[in-house]
Parts: sequence; C-alpha cells; structure tokens
Amino acid sequence: MRRFDLALPQSLDDCLKILAEQGGRAKLLAGGTDLLPQMKNGVLHPALVVDLSGIARVRQVQNGHGLRIGAAVTARALEKNPALRGPYLAIAESAAMVGSLQVRNLATVGGNLCNAAPSADMAPPLVALEAQAVIAGPGGERRVPLADFFTGVRKTVLAPDELLVELIVPPPGAHSGGQYLRHTPRRELDIAVAGVASQLTMADGRCAKARIALASVAPTPVRATAAERSLEGQAVTPEAIERAAALAIEAANPIDDQRGSIEFRKHLVRVLTRRTLTTALQRANA
Amino acid sequence: MAKQVLSCTVNGEPVDVLVQPYVTLLDALREDMGLTGPKEGCGTGDCGACTVHLDGQVVASCLMLAMQARGREIRTIEGLAGTGALHPLQDAFVRHGVPQCGFCIPGVLMAAAALLKENPRPSQEQIRYGIAGNLCRCTGYTAMVAAIGEAAETIASQRSAR
Amino acid sequence: MSTMKTTRDVKGVGISIPRPDGPEKVTGRVQYVADIQAKGLLHAKLLRSPHAHAKIVSIDTAAARALPGVRAVITAKDIPHLKKKAPTRAHAVLAIDRVVFMGQPVAAVAADEPSIAEEALDLIKVEYQVLAASIDPLKAMQPGAPPVADAGTEADTSEALAHSAVAIAQSEAPAKAVNISQQARLQRGDPAKGFAEADHILEKTYRVPMVHQGYLEPHAVLAEWDRNGLLTLWASTQGSFNTRSEVADVLGIPENRIRVIPVECGGGFGGKIRALCEPITAVLAQVTKRPVRYVMTRREELQAGMPAPQVIIKLKTGVKRDGTLMALDAETVIDSGAYSGAVLAVSAVFLGSMYRWPSFDIRGFEVLTHKPSVAAYRAPVAPQTIFAIESQMEQIARDLDLDSVEFRMRHLIQEGDPMVNGQPWQSNGAKQVLSRIAEHPHWKTRKQWVAAGKNGKRRGVGLALGGWLGGLQPTGATVRLNPDGSLAVLTGQVDIAGTNIALAQIAASAYGVDTDLVRITTGDTDVAPVTGLSAGSKTVYTVGAAVLQAAEDARRQTFEIAAAELEASVHDLELVDGKVTVRGMPDKGITLATIGKKGNLYMSKTPPVLGKANPAFTRQAPGFAAQLARLELDPDTGEVTLLDFVVVQDVGRAINPMGVEGQMQGGAVQSIGMALTEGLLFDDRGRLTNPSLLDYRKLTAADLPNLETIIVEVPAPAGPFGARGVGEPPIIPAPAAIANAIQNATGARLTELPMSPERIALALVNGAH
Repeated sequence: MRRFDLALPQSLDDCLKILAEQGGRAKLLAGGTDLLPQMKNGVLHPALVVDLSGIARVRQVQNGHGLRIGAAVTARALEKNPALRGPYLAIAESAAMVGSLQVRNLATVGGNLCNAAPSADMAPPLVALEAQAVIAGPGGERRVPLADFFTGVRKTVLAPDELLVELIVPPPGAHSGGQYLRHTPRRELDIAVAGVASQLTMADGRCAKARIALASVAPTPVRATAAERSLEGQAVTPEAIERAAALAIEAANPIDDQRGSIEFRKHLVRVLTRRTLTTALQRANA
Repeated sequence: MAKQVLSCTVNGEPVDVLVQPYVTLLDALREDMGLTGPKEGCGTGDCGACTVHLDGQVVASCLMLAMQARGREIRTIEGLAGTGALHPLQDAFVRHGVPQCGFCIPGVLMAAAALLKENPRPSQEQIRYGIAGNLCRCTGYTAMVAAIGEAAETIASQRSAR
Repeated sequence: MSTMKTTRDVKGVGISIPRPDGPEKVTGRVQYVADIQAKGLLHAKLLRSPHAHAKIVSIDTAAARALPGVRAVITAKDIPHLKKKAPTRAHAVLAIDRVVFMGQPVAAVAADEPSIAEEALDLIKVEYQVLAASIDPLKAMQPGAPPVADAGTEADTSEALAHSAVAIAQSEAPAKAVNISQQARLQRGDPAKGFAEADHILEKTYRVPMVHQGYLEPHAVLAEWDRNGLLTLWASTQGSFNTRSEVADVLGIPENRIRVIPVECGGGFGGKIRALCEPITAVLAQVTKRPVRYVMTRREELQAGMPAPQVIIKLKTGVKRDGTLMALDAETVIDSGAYSGAVLAVSAVFLGSMYRWPSFDIRGFEVLTHKPSVAAYRAPVAPQTIFAIESQMEQIARDLDLDSVEFRMRHLIQEGDPMVNGQPWQSNGAKQVLSRIAEHPHWKTRKQWVAAGKNGKRRGVGLALGGWLGGLQPTGATVRLNPDGSLAVLTGQVDIAGTNIALAQIAASAYGVDTDLVRITTGDTDVAPVTGLSAGSKTVYTVGAAVLQAAEDARRQTFEIAAAELEASVHDLELVDGKVTVRGMPDKGITLATIGKKGNLYMSKTPPVLGKANPAFTRQAPGFAAQLARLELDPDTGEVTLLDFVVVQDVGRAINPMGVEGQMQGGAVQSIGMALTEGLLFDDRGRLTNPSLLDYRKLTAADLPNLETIIVEVPAPAGPFGARGVGEPPIIPAPAAIANAIQNATGARLTELPMSPERIALALVNGAH
C-alpha cells in the first residue's frame, strides 16, 4: 500500500470537521474490507484515511418502531442480532453471505453500501424494506431513500464532506416476510453473480405490498417495479409468482463479465425471484 | 507521516509499539512485533492465512490497519496454546498429519479455535463452514475436519473432567 | 519378555507416522522466506507491463530514483551483460525492448519499505507502442498471427524430461506458423480404414483453461551477496540445485559462487520448479550491496505466475457396435504462453495408449501466445488429457449401451503393451484400481441412488481412470551412524509433500532401527549431495531408492566393524534392538552406540560409518488412480453439490499410509476445483479478468465432502520396498469423473472446464446434449 496519513476522530463532529477541511483527499475507513484491497491494488490512493472506529453513534442498532442500524455495525453483528428476525430476516441473511467469517467480523453495512458495488449483498434487502439513509454533513443531517442512494457503479449521493451515519428501516406491517438469495459458484468466500431480495406484506390473503430488489444485474441495486406491481392487490399464487419472476427480468440490465453472462444473470433473476417470493410468502403468513 | 503509538493487548500481554499509520495489522504483527505465524497469502481477505482473533473474533488481519486495533485484544497462533504444551487443536493436527506445506495452518487453527469457543460440539458441516474462510491447497480438508472434530471432543472431555 | 526387534519388524516402512515437523508448523514457528528478518533488509517491487504485447519506446526512472528511501531502480539497460535472447522465462529478467505478456517485469525497485517501493513504481514512466497480440492459441497457430518469440528461439523441453521422461520424436514446424514452438505426430495402423469399418464415430472437442497451481505461499526469495562475491539465496523452491543452475546460467556466474538454501516451501505443485524472481532479486541485492527480499503479491501470482497451460483436445473415435476399438484421431493444442516449456508427450501417451487403439493418428502442438508462460502443475497435462479421453470413453459406452467399466476393462493396457511411442508399459495397477472402484457400493448401487433424488435436485454418479508415468532423476543420499547409535540421513531433497518422514522410514527399515532413531536433513546446495526436483512423483521412488541403498551401505559397514570386533563372519551377524549380535548367541554382541563412538574417538582405528549412494534410474513406475463422484445438482442454478468422492490409487507400497492419504485427498481436491470452479480468464487483449482469490475460485471446505481413500498396492519392481510415486495420480481423473456424473444426472455432456453453474444451467436451458 502507498503511504497515507491517518486520522482517528473520536466523535461525529470531529469527523465532520476533518471532512469539511480535507474531504476531497480523504477516504472513510470502516471495516476496510473493500477499501484496503482497492488501495493495495492501486485503484484508490487517498492522501488521508479517516478511521470511523472511534465514533460510537455509528456502531449501534436500535429496535423500536422500526430499526435504526448504525453504518459501522459489522455484517457479523447484524447476522447475529436478534432484532433482525421476523420481517427483517432478509437483512440478516444478506449480512451472513458477505465474504468470509474473517471478513464479516470487519465489514460494515455502511461500507457495503458506500462502496456501491453492484454486487453489494446488503443493499437489496434494505432497499426492499424501504430503508432510509441518514447522511451527516456540514449543514446537518439529511435522509435519502436507499433506493436513491446509489448513482452508478461505485457512486453514491454522498458528497466528499458527508458520511453515512445510519439506516432507518420503517416497520413493514404485521404480516410481512422477506428473503435474500444470491447465486455464487462457491458456498462461501464469494461474490454474487446475481442476488434477489423479495419482501411481501400481506393483508386479507392478498399482497398489500411487494418489493423486489436485485443485485449484480445493473450498475446499481435496482427494484423490479413491474414485477412488484403485478403482485400488489393479488393473491400470491404460484402462477402469480411465476409471472412476477418473468417480469423481474425486465428490471435487469446486466453486463457480461468474468462472473457471469447476461443470459445467465437474467436466468438467475427469474429463478431467484421465484424462490425468494415463495419463501417471503411463507414467512409473511407465518 | 510520523509513526503512531499502537497500544493494545497481544497474546495476553499489553503492548505499546510504534507503527506507521499505513501498515496493516498483519504487517505490524509480522514486521514490528516479530509474530510471523500469521501469513499473507493474498492480502485481500480471500484466503484466511492471516487470520487472528480480535476480541475473540476471527478477522483477516491483512484488511485492518494496525491502528484500528488500538485498545483491543489480539491473539495470534503464537498465543493459541498456553506456555509449553500444544492446544488440543494443535495436538490433533499433528497426530492426524494435517499440515503439509503448513502455510495455511496458523490461520485454520485460529478459525477452528474461534469456532469451538462459540460452538463446542460442532457438526461436521459446521466445522466445514467454520473454516470456509481459510483456503488450503494441500490437504483437501478431510483430515483437517476430522482433527477439529476430535479436538472438540478432547476439549469437552477435559472440561467435564474438571 | 521384551519384544525383539529385527530388521524386519522395526518401526519403519508401512506405518502411519506423523511428520516430525508438525509441531513447528502448528505453532506458526516454521519460517518461510517472507518470515526471515535480515539486517538492513530492502524490499523489492517490480513494475509490470499493462499490455500483452507492446514495444517499449522509452523508460524514465529519474523521478523514482529521486524518491527518498529508494535504493535502486533497474531496467534492462542497467544489466547489459544479461542482454541476450531469452530462451526461457527465467532469462527474461526484465523486458528489453518488447513485452510479450501482461505482467511481464519491465523495471525493478529496491527500497527501505514496501510502500516506498510501490510509490517508486508509480513514478516510473514507460512509453509503450501497443502491438497486435496473439491470445487465442488456435488463432495464434495460424500463419500470419502476431509472433510471440524472437526469431530463432528454441523450444524448451526440459520440463517434459523432468516430469515424465518420455521422449517423443519432434517433427518440424511448418515454416509460416511462427507461434508453433513444438510439435509431434504419432501414428499406428490405418486410421482411415478403422473409421471406415467403425459403426460409431464420435467427435468432440474438450477445452481446459489455464489454471493456477494455487500454492498458498506466493513466490518469495531473499538474496544477499557477501564481499567475496558469493551469492546466497533463501528460496521457496522445489529444487535447490535446479534453482542454482538456472540462476547461474541467467546471471552468467559459476555455480560454486551460489548457495541456495531451500526454505520451507509453502506449496509448489510444479509452480516452483523453474526460477522466476530469483535472478532479478539477486541483481538488486548486488547493486545495493544489501539483502533484498522479493515476495510476489497474489495478484502478481495470478497475472504473471507460471500457470498450467490451456489445453484444447480434439478427439474422433471409431468403434464397432460391440465396443471393439477401431481408430483414434486426436489433436492436442497446448497454449504455452509467451515462452516454450510445456509437456507434449503425456497427452499423446494417455490419449493413444491407455486403451489399446489398433490405429491412431495423434498430433500435438505447443503454441506460443501473449500470455504468462506456463510451468508444471501436478501431473502436467494429464488431468486435461484424461478429461478428454475418459469423457469420450464414457460417452461411447453410453451411446452403445455398454457397461462403462467392462468397456474400459476390456481395452485397458497392461504391462508390456506398447505405448504410443513404442516403449512398453511398465508394471502397473491400472486394472486393479479400476476393478476396485467398480466394487465400491457407491458404484454398485448407483441406479437406485440416482433414482432416489428429490426436491427437484438431480443426482449423478460418475467415475474415471487416469495414470501417470512417474518421473526419474539421478540423486544422492548419505546415511551416517551417530556416536549414540542413531542415524543421520542427508539429502538435498526439498520436502514439499511429507517425503522426509517416508525417507526416514525407508532408512529405518533398510538399516534396521526404529524410525524415531532416524533424522533426515535437507541440506542446502553447499552441503547436500546433488538431488533432483521434488516433482514428477519421484521423490520416494528415486531419493527413497538412494536412501535405501545408502542405508544398506551403512549397515554393511556397520556389520564389517562388528565382525572385526566380535571376531565373527559378517554373514553370521544380525541387528536386534540396536545391537549387532552373532546369530544364536544373543550375549555376544556390540551396540550401535559402541560402533558409532568408535568411529568418532581420538586415535581410533575404526572408520566412521558413512553409507552413501548416488544412483541414476532407467525404469519408470506408472501410478494409476480411479475416482468416483456422487453429486446432486440444482438444474435451475446449475449448482453442483459433491456428496461423495472416492479415490482409489495404486501406490505400490504405502511407505507412510497417512502421508499417502494426504496426497490422495489433496490432489483430488485440486482437480475437483479444476472441474468445477477454477480457470484463469483472459480477455481478447490478453488481460487477466480474475486476478484475485475471490474470482479465481479454489474450493473451500464448505464446498467439499470428506474424501474416501482406498490404497491399492501393486509393487513397483524397482521401487524402494515396492513403492511408486503418489503425488500426481490423484489429481488426474476427477474432472472426467465429475463430467461423467453430471451427464448421469442431466444427460448433458459438458466438454469445457470449469463445469461452472453457468455452463451447466445454460446447457440444460438450451438443451445441449
């Protein structure tokens, strides 16, 4: 790794002050599992690295009316947190898939989102649960729907003097269930060729709300809105699921690369949408 | 770029060591503290050879800056056993002839030790997932899984004997 | 009464004894090159070409040299004495005026810290003129393709000789095909007639990408010169004498000015035979007059290591309806990357003469491309070849509704049958391993087991057979009797596979003491007898033979001393419990410790016992393995779950069954990875698209079942205690066995590795059968 300066702020205010002065030459360091490999490979060469591990607020999970998840909470902590059960289970499932155990003990949800890789596993379930990103900057805090947080491959709405503080997940309703599934060639230590999170909220035997979010098939995590619409207000029959799975492909705009072809990724979107909707329905009705 | 003081606990001993701000925990352990048990197999968290315990949890020490370990407790393969004797995992690895080239072994042992702490009687599948972040190219894992299972039994029987 | 130990029942050959280096390895105390601290150590980094093929217009190193902490910046201009045509990869220390693969070193830096060295690389300005590149070997072998080698560069066949010791006559390349660096053609009978008379003709093309050996420890070397001009290299190598020779040749200095110390090798599998980064590190150490360490990053390993070649095999077979073999037509194209050095012969032998084809026409080509040059990888080209021929044999049996084991057994070679090159097959256990695996319950119950699949998963069972000819290389060993009656064995053999404990067991049994009284030392090139490579499945077979002979020599010397002391005939002596006694007179004897002491006493007239042997070899010992895979497959995602895997292998004699099983398991898993997930992927500009262990997918523990190992022992006539080499056979059959199981599960015949979920799922979606 090329040399850099390291700042160790002990509070959010300290951190914002550093970013206000030097944000343009700085990179924020949370778990480091995405940042350090990019710095080692020479893709990124920041003059200053700002370590977030001294800031308490970004490391907490609060469970009240909905969830508040600190940006620097590790994937492993989310996987094991009992608050991430019931309607929120898909978040824990996605957290349990990131990297290896050695990586999950370091990697953070905020890092996974801010790195903004199309393959980020934790984005689809949070998008499907309509999470809001809380962003702190020099002028105070602002909230952005997570679905609008990503602007391109490795690009977000964050300005150089801002940081992601936490995620607010609103309560999805009484009968809600979700699942995140992804395909990888290996069982562990891998990265999504395609991933799908489905969240169904049921009322009176019909789908009150459907949210389907896809990973690794577009420059950013995307919602399969046509598929969602086809389910809402309907009974979720196997036929309806199959129809939605076919419609989900429309939202996918994948690339051909070494991890998968366009054809395979679209095929996977259909298979994984079918499977996650089927499980989401069971969980919503449980 | 001045060196900074890293204060932490390493293998049970409090340590103050001067490190460059840009070195990883792995490099600080190996180059500044002389603990060369953890290895660098990839540098990007994809092989597990650098696995150490951070507050009892396995982490890829190649993906942490040394200064991120301030105030925390680190254990490396050098501190797995008490003084003298081998840890039951190490003993089982020797008796099962697990180490071939040996390069992955320190990392695998640290992963296995963390697994047994959390789950003292893991199933074979749980053992396999417990060391899935550690690549080994020599053994094919079969003997490794058997040795970890046997060490779990040994530790359990030592505990009940007490 | 205590148990009497004689030569026959000492704790030696045939017992599972854990490796003596285990405790050092499990405590993290074993030192690899990167662990060695040296006073004044400098760190080396290499600037590598971003292009597969380009002319170097200019290099400006001024800014890099000016960076504080930088101690040397070297380009080819700074080492004009090395400037000559590079016949091998090792000679291409730094690119001179042209780069021929992406990742080729262009400049080298030594600095106080690795970070400073990296920053120095950023400051070196290289102007390239990008040239058209030959990436696809089938295009590269066409006339008019962009040329890779400089005109007049010769083929490098040293790897083939080291590994398989099979000579095949080379034929001349067509003048215009500039990138064909080796070719051979072997013919027997009249294939045209054979195909005309055949009822069933099957044509398939099998493809295997470049794969990396995957050793966990990247290449590493530490170099230091003393003021007398002696170079010491601490190397991670599979053959310290070979490293010494190559470095001497490249640097143009006598071998006796170089000492290679083989440090613990963190895996090699063929990839650490040839010199790679040793010469440039030695140059940097010479220029800076400081110890210099170079450790490759994993990214560099994958982009610019020495992987196994891409192999494309086109097969056409003709068979009668009853399964009688008629004719084989085969063409093997081996993509050797930017330098020659692939093994051509193995493919021909196993394509054409594992089964008795009455007529064949087999052509082999080594083709150069603008990619990293290749090296050996555990049984070079054998897994790729067996993938082709064993997939083909299974398909023929399936098409003709023949029992696939009986079909193979009927045509399988045995001792004395001619190989494709006319040499006879040596004694081997091919039939024994095949019949042993066919008796396995997993094979016998396969139909019921497959039918019992549920939850939308499909099940399949497949098997395959493969073999390895076994390497040969002259070697040496000494066995000394210590003054306390223990033995000291010295070789130069680098222990990469647990061979030292096997050598100790051989010495123990041959001399007549327990193994715990034997200590093996791997000496460096200054002190050890010349010893060959740890490669080609020949360490136990050849170094073991040398140790055996040296131990017998030491025993003979011991008995001669005892005979004089006891005033008895050598023929009346026996060695029991560490004491040489006159047979039938247990009280009349002399202990080994006494004999050992006499050889080490001031004014003693008794010579010290020093057994030695330095044999050369002529007779190979082929090793065969059969493997069986049971798997379950998700037809929607193509995900394969390997549920059972069985390895049956003829090892001649298992000197140390525990070590043998470790080889069988480890070898199998490497090629299960080749079968399912591994492959170096290059784009059409020759850039590697998966240069990390995240995307170059070696299998994890979670991807695999426990492997069952079954040892078969068909003694090798010339092997020590009947032993054969064991390292290579287990890596050979797995890809074919898994392909056959996938076909059993789905009906789809996959002919390209890796058989990734994508390939399987799309084959099923698109109905490729």
